Amino acid sequence: MSTPSRLTAQALTLAYEDRTVVDGLDLEIPDGQVTVIVGPNACGKSTLLRALGRLLKPRSGTVLLDGAELSGIPGRQVARTIGVLPQSPTPPDGITVADLVARGRQPHQKWWQQWSEADERAVAEALEHTNTADLADRPVDELSGGQRQRVWIAMALAQDTDLLLLDEPTTYLDIAHQVEVLDLVRRLNHGRGRTVVAVLHDLNQAARYADHLIAMKAGRIVAQGRPADVVTADLVREVFGLTSVVVPDPVTSSPLVVPGIPWQPKSAD
Amino acid sequence: MNRTTTGGTSTAAPALGARAGVRPAGYAVVRAGRASFLVHRRAVAVAALLAVLLAVAVVLSLCIGETFTSPVQVVDVLLGRPSPDEFVVGTLRLPRLVVGLLAGTAFGVAGALVQTVARNPLASPDVIGVTHGAGAATVAAMSFGLVAHTTLPYVSVAGGLGAALLVYAFAWRGGMQASRFVLIGIGVSIALGSLTQLFLTKGDYLVAQQAKVWLTGSLNSRGYDQAAPLALVLLVAVPAALWAARAQRGASFDDDTAIALGIRLDRVRLGLALLGVVLASVATGATGPVDFVALLAPQIARRLTRTAQIPLLSSALTGALVVVVADLLARRLFSPVELPVGVLTAAVGAPYLMWLIARTRSRSGGSSS
Repeated sequence: MSTPSRLTAQALTLAYEDRTVVDGLDLEIPDGQVTVIVGPNACGKSTLLRALGRLLKPRSGTVLLDGAELSGIPGRQVARTIGVLPQSPTPPDGITVADLVARGRQPHQKWWQQWSEADERAVAEALEHTNTADLADRPVDELSGGQRQRVWIAMALAQDTDLLLLDEPTTYLDIAHQVEVLDLVRRLNHGRGRTVVAVLHDLNQAARYADHLIAMKAGRIVAQGRPADVVTADLVREVFGLTSVVVPDPVTSSPLVVPGIPWQPKSAD
Repeated sequence: MNRTTTGGTSTAAPALGARAGVRPAGYAVVRAGRASFLVHRRAVAVAALLAVLLAVAVVLSLCIGETFTSPVQVVDVLLGRPSPDEFVVGTLRLPRLVVGLLAGTAFGVAGALVQTVARNPLASPDVIGVTHGAGAATVAAMSFGLVAHTTLPYVSVAGGLGAALLVYAFAWRGGMQASRFVLIGIGVSIALGSLTQLFLTKGDYLVAQQAKVWLTGSLNSRGYDQAAPLALVLLVAVPAALWAARAQRGASFDDDTAIALGIRLDRVRLGLALLGVVLASVATGATGPVDFVALLAPQIARRLTRTAQIPLLSSALTGALVVVVADLLARRLFSPVELPVGVLTAAVGAPYLMWLIARTRSRSGGSSS
């Protein structure tokens, strides 16, 4: 913690109407790492991500980007630094893949600069990184769930930001596509030291892919740090209320959470 | 953040395919210096075609009437050359045509803007109560003896904005859900329609007669008095429309995605909706509520251009074309009896509206595979 992180939160309180979801939370997102936020349903993890991405205005407290209050920075300027992929984005009707990805360039464009060479390069790179160049001319409505998710990530990539926030990017995908998307997230981080923050459902995936893990419960941070230090049977019990055994993952040796014995009839035969 | 883009390659070559770069399907890129524009090829072709059709419709509607005037003479009159048909074409037919052209344009653009904001083809100004608000206010003004051509446009705009505010107030629940918006709009339309009827029965007989014709949307005996305020508003709206065409790109996303892209969504939506409501109201003030043009024109235009947004220019041209052709038919179909143009547009528009509602129902009810 020698230099302060680019993205931090101080005394952050978040609420929907009269329901407080996050109360007085402090947070630093480590630069150049993959941070994963985990926690049970309705613990406020997605709400927190939305606030970090300026999609939700804090009830009180602040989110700071490079030391300046996020809500005070013009939207376009924020959008050139932080890319956000919301949980269930809706594409415009009938739009094609390349057109959608090109919309990621919006914060860099002016009405008289609709397709500069920088735009062209960024979109080409985004399509290439996400393996979607072959789909460029296809309508987004016709794609499979995995393809569509890659296309949305491509759009966020084309935005060409130093920070990237992803809200449950693997939901609704089968396991092969989940792995594909998570590998992509790692590559994006590795490529140019991009800071990535993702909300994930699966604790084991979080432990595999995160450099920095944040475990939340009821709007508070329960533990954070390297997955190997954070993920323990005690934590799993405290956060998820689940009895489990934590063993080293046979492939990555990151912590692997194995839940307790499945329910069985009390007296067999 | 300023990545220098053009190193030494400032050749600015619009030569397409010189380097097969990535671009959205169907678009051509025009670059000149640091400026660059994306042009949807099909949209340009469609707009050109519509413009030609509109020109033909304009000349035809000036030729055809109780007496036939040859196109050559029509063109003579239009160019200000002396002609024996000066009176019939220049004084009788032309002013009416101009009102129709301008109103159709305004309805087309208004529909495109409101449908974009609501992200729903059903939410056009004539379905959600804007034109009925303008209608109710105008009839009220008429029955209170206010019939000056100079003040009626303001009354219409006030009525249209009032209706839009009313719908907004009822439909807003910490967010705007398209279906609720449309249903409340239809309800408000019906309520305002009844209010209009009330004014008609309470008001003076002669005024009521006059108002009734106005209410079906007619170009009969409409002229430059009605065209002037409409032309003025359209002129002011041109730069606004240039902004709107760009802003539409952002407004067609869901809220979160749009905000993530740095779009000031509230401001964009308010601007687009306001422009649409004002255009529809002023047009209604000039011609009466010519129903369904604002609903139909943008949808026809979009099916023709196949763009991800509703195309503004093509919507404007389609709106003008629909009104001019419908008025021509309304004048001649049951000649010598003249139908109000609104009857004709309603005959086409109402079944289309029903089809749209039926289709949205089955789509949201069925599984989305």
